[in-house]
Amino acid sequence: MAVLELHHISKSYGRIQALKNLSFDVPEGSVFGVLGPNGSGKTTLLSIILDVLKADTGNFLWFGKPGSPDMRKQIGSLLETPNFYHYLSAVNNLRVTQSISGRGNEESIDEVLSKVSLLERKKSRFSTYSLGMKQRLAIAAALLGNPRVLVLDEPTNGLDPVGIAEIRELIKELHKKGFTIIMASHLLDEVEKICTHVAILKKGELVTQGSVDEVLVDEDIIELSAHDADQLGQILSNYPGATQIKREGKFLYLHFPKGDAIPEDINHFCFQQGIALDHLIHKKKRLEARFFELTGN
Amino acid sequence: MNVLRTEWLKIRNYPAFWWVMAMTALSYPGINYIFWNIYKEVTKKQSATGQIAKMLLGNPFAYPETFHTTAYFSSFFVFIPAIVVIMMITNEYTYKTHRQNIIDGWSRNQFLLSKFFDVVIITLMVTLLYLIISIVVGIVASGNSTVNMWSQSQYIFYFALQTFSQLSIAFLIGFLVRKSFIALSIFVFYFIIVENMVVGYSKVKLNDIGRFMPLEISDRLIPIPAFLGRLDEKAYKAGLDAINPHIYLTFLVIAVVWGLCYFFNQKRDL
Repeated sequence: MAVLELHHISKSYGRIQALKNLSFDVPEGSVFGVLGPNGSGKTTLLSIILDVLKADTGNFLWFGKPGSPDMRKQIGSLLETPNFYHYLSAVNNLRVTQSISGRGNEESIDEVLSKVSLLERKKSRFSTYSLGMKQRLAIAAALLGNPRVLVLDEPTNGLDPVGIAEIRELIKELHKKGFTIIMASHLLDEVEKICTHVAILKKGELVTQGSVDEVLVDEDIIELSAHDADQLGQILSNYPGATQIKREGKFLYLHFPKGDAIPEDINHFCFQQGIALDHLIHKKKRLEARFFELTGN
Repeated sequence: MNVLRTEWLKIRNYPAFWWVMAMTALSYPGINYIFWNIYKEVTKKQSATGQIAKMLLGNPFAYPETFHTTAYFSSFFVFIPAIVVIMMITNEYTYKTHRQNIIDGWSRNQFLLSKFFDVVIITLMVTLLYLIISIVVGIVASGNSTVNMWSQSQYIFYFALQTFSQLSIAFLIGFLVRKSFIALSIFVFYFIIVENMVVGYSKVKLNDIGRFMPLEISDRLIPIPAFLGRLDEKAYKAGLDAINPHIYLTFLVIAVVWGLCYFFNQKRDL
């Protein structure tokens, strides 16, 4: 079942069209990454599904129903920047979140603050927090009351490497528990490590979407090496079915049309030609490379 | 109740709110104290002038006139609570917490309702302050005489209505402009200069058309106190007669202000 369905969403700011006829589904239990360069419409899209912006055309459904305040109460969200009352402490800000959303209670406020390592500073004013601490508090607010769906816009923004790793682990842990997480990011490495599904946007248009494997794999790549790399290159130069052969350092990369590469056959072929492989991997293309291909950057 | 509770959570620990309310709590009794002292200075003289002044002015701070007199002087300072009203709405835009309130599960109408409650709460606090001042001043100025003590208590309602109407206009400016400094400047400039100029000019040249200006409509709920009215009895009588129509006009202003807020709140992006 789809947690979120988008149907032909378009949005313009004056003459600039931020989103163009966007349609896709977010499956339940997925970690769904919304990728795109700056200005591609990621935050506009998240703002529309959270009812902060109104779409010019199209509609969206949460759990098969139109978006509503009651629906939003069940979704933990972090949109763009951490938005809190600067004069209130962390705990009082979360009390406001709790009062509006009805998610969690006094105990769960301490629980989420502990989860993002802010428990010791819970009585400090928000205005005294560093950027990373503000981001942590925003994540704590999103986690309050264990909502089954999280919408996170650049969740690791402003965090140090330890913080990034902690949030990554937290998202993985929530995914294991069956939570659905919709995450916008331009940090491809982060998305590649966490997401099960992606949608890639470019100038407001959907370039592609699907499971990470489907999106990343448009061809098969076999990475291999042997003691004598030159000889290996020679014997594989006419390997049947290979579309391309590349050499980078001691490794050779054989490219095949999607689904055509059979590593066992390659290994067997090399052995018959009198060369023993010391390395053989069926590789996925890096998301970064795929992203650049798809977005034309 | 949820909306009220949430607003209380926001206000309770907001130092600027309490500072401005403290300023209000000082300025309202302050202005009344100043005029009361002037009155006492003028009337305590044993000379003939002093005695004539006493006869002419009566005792505007005693019951029941205290409700009218203190309402009139207190209303000079409505721009102080207006500061806090403007800050409370523009802060939401500055910190983008208006968006977060919606994201967390309020409807746009609930957000607007929460701000409506802010204006109501501040109006009630200011009215309570005025009421305490008028009762205390009345007790001190009346001595043992409490005849017809509550006969002018309708001014409590007029004061509350005027305050709510003028704070609602301040809110509208903050709501539309979104930037606290600009909104405050516009309100104070309009409150102190523009409307007074238009109203003053129209009295002389335009058949008093300025009485329909947004703030002036509710200003006329509380005409000049009786002792000042004795300087021009005819104008004073006309001022009293205008109160009833201006009650309806003030309700109309309030409806238009909040209607505009509702309209823009529905239409514009957050």
